[in-house]
Amino acid sequence: MSLVHINILMAFTMSLTGLLMYRSHLMSALLCLEGMVLSLFILMTLTILNSHFTLANMAPIILLVFAACEAAIGLALLVMISNTYGTDHVQNLNLLQC
Amino acid sequence: MDLFTSSTLLTLLMLITPIMASSTNLYKNSNYQHYVKNMTLSAFIISLIPMTMFIHTNQEMLISNWHWITIHTFKLTLSFKMDYFSLMFMPVALFITWSIMEFSMWYMHSDPNINQFFKYLLIFLITMLILVTANNLFQLLVGWEGVGIMSFLLIGWWFGRTDANTAALQAILYNRIGDIGFLLSMAWFLSNTNSWDLQQIFVLSQNPSNLPLMGLTLAAAGKSAQFGLHPWLPSAMEGPTPVSALLHSSTMVVAGVFLLIRFSPLMENNKPIQTMMLSLGALTTLFTAICALTQNDIKKIIAFSTSSQLGLMMVTVGLNQPHLAFLHICTHAFFKAMLFLCSGSIIHNLNNEQDIRKMGGLYKILPFTTTALITGCLALTGVPFLTGFYSKDPIIEAATSSYTNAWALLLTLIATSLTAVYSTRIIFYTLLEQPRFSPLMNINETNPALINPIKRLLVGSIFAGFILSNNMPPMTTPLMTMPLHLKLTALMVTTLGFIIALEINTYSKNLKYPHLSNFTNFSTLLGYFPTIMHRLPPHLILTMGQKLATSLLDLTWTEIILPKTMTSIQLKASLLTSNQKGLIKLYFLSFLITMTLVMLLFNYPE
Repeated sequence: MSLVHINILMAFTMSLTGLLMYRSHLMSALLCLEGMVLSLFILMTLTILNSHFTLANMAPIILLVFAACEAAIGLALLVMISNTYGTDHVQNLNLLQC
Repeated sequence: MDLFTSSTLLTLLMLITPIMASSTNLYKNSNYQHYVKNMTLSAFIISLIPMTMFIHTNQEMLISNWHWITIHTFKLTLSFKMDYFSLMFMPVALFITWSIMEFSMWYMHSDPNINQFFKYLLIFLITMLILVTANNLFQLLVGWEGVGIMSFLLIGWWFGRTDANTAALQAILYNRIGDIGFLLSMAWFLSNTNSWDLQQIFVLSQNPSNLPLMGLTLAAAGKSAQFGLHPWLPSAMEGPTPVSALLHSSTMVVAGVFLLIRFSPLMENNKPIQTMMLSLGALTTLFTAICALTQNDIKKIIAFSTSSQLGLMMVTVGLNQPHLAFLHICTHAFFKAMLFLCSGSIIHNLNNEQDIRKMGGLYKILPFTTTALITGCLALTGVPFLTGFYSKDPIIEAATSSYTNAWALLLTLIATSLTAVYSTRIIFYTLLEQPRFSPLMNINETNPALINPIKRLLVGSIFAGFILSNNMPPMTTPLMTMPLHLKLTALMVTTLGFIIALEINTYSKNLKYPHLSNFTNFSTLLGYFPTIMHRLPPHLILTMGQKLATSLLDLTWTEIILPKTMTSIQLKASLLTSNQKGLIKLYFLSFLITMTLVMLLFNYPE
């Protein structure tokens, strides 16, 4: 694998690890989610531009749109949790009720 | 022949001149009242010319002046119909308006806006004459709406008083409900006979369906205060007495009955409509006569009396006798206007006291008004050979000797006897016994502006019946033979009413006033009709409207369709399907370890 690939895949893996192993704040999970999406975006753009695959030029933009929506929903959830508990500590999320 | 046309148009044009003079200096000084009164007098004299020509030659005329609009095959012009009804009614209306204008020069003397009052009375007279002489339905609608508007402005003359404003609005609303019927029949006539001209309608639709006739009956019920649409007429007594005398006794309220008389050729062969009018009129006349029995305001008693006589006119139209109804309109105008003028004289002389429980003993103090009041009441009840006899007695005779609804006939007879009862009540409470007002009243009736109108109407109340019924060309064969007991029916029930009323009135001097029974409450509260109908239906309709518009539509479309539905579905689904405990970090950690193991295992398969 080339160096570029290793670079971007490493970014992706680090964000994934950060998403799955965080200590107490939900906010860090959301930030790592953003990081994952960002690295995927870069990977997709580079591959498509490199192989001159013009037909798929739209795909990164669509990915970005969906990422924005997802970020909004994530933040809304964060706000709801923060409204209920005051902080976003994950150890509060043990009651499955609204 | 030329004199016919020119004098008719001159009559109508003369009345418009003082309205146009209202932008000049003449409007600002006190000569304007004399000017308007003299114009009305001259218009009356000139309108006698076409009337006598008609009586002499029995020749009708149709004046068609100005072509207004043509839409495809439909042509509207300005056309006046001078026939039996309009030519006889115009002089009567002008005579009564002349007398009332002279009376209001005395009654409204201290009012600063008296010139505007005269202008309003004149505009009312013009629109009434437009209504009476209209040959097409559009012109009739112009006159119809015009009298409605002037009624509103005149009832609310003292607009600082909330009761007057409420009464004026009530009149407009009830008239509007009748206008729905009028517009319905206009639309039917337009789409089925292609014209609004009376001639074309009468030729083309000999047997119209029930729809336009019911529309016309609804219009008449609204304008002429039949039962169901009647509360506006007693409330309209909030206006000044000349307004009550002109509009709500002689002229405006008969417009509804006049409409039915105009369209009587269409109703000749339609028995169900005639029966409906008969029943409505009989119910009206009895109900309002009952309500008149326990009222304490002298103007309200006379207003209910007017309503009762309007019911009688409706009964006559329902008996297929339009010419008798028209004769009753003309004769009723005389004595009813005079009764209102006498009550105005009493009210002003007692310093604006309208309650009959505080009047009394005016028999010796106001001799002329007493004479006029007693004569008017006798004419109203149909005492033989006064004015009312020549129209009321033939109506009762026609009712008793025709093949008609016995229940309606019974109600009419009872109402006739009740007429005598409340007339006796008026006479007893205002004129007889000892005075019940404070002794410092300044009572006189020496002003000629007060005496002369009442004198003229008094002569009219005595002789007009005789003169009119002997000079009007007969349009139907009068009924000449009937058994003696049927002939004397009206006289017997009236006499019975007088005797009972005199007995009961003299009781009130000797016996203790009893607790009010339920029947008295029914009569005093006008049959509970205004109490129920002015509160319950508006409350129900407005609540229903609010519930439909706000709760049902708005709330549903903006809140319930997506947000609350999604919320409830998610809640239910999560409750159904979840059996987790919420240990997020453990779940994420196990996912990470699984992913790592998978990558290791599948990359290094050995």
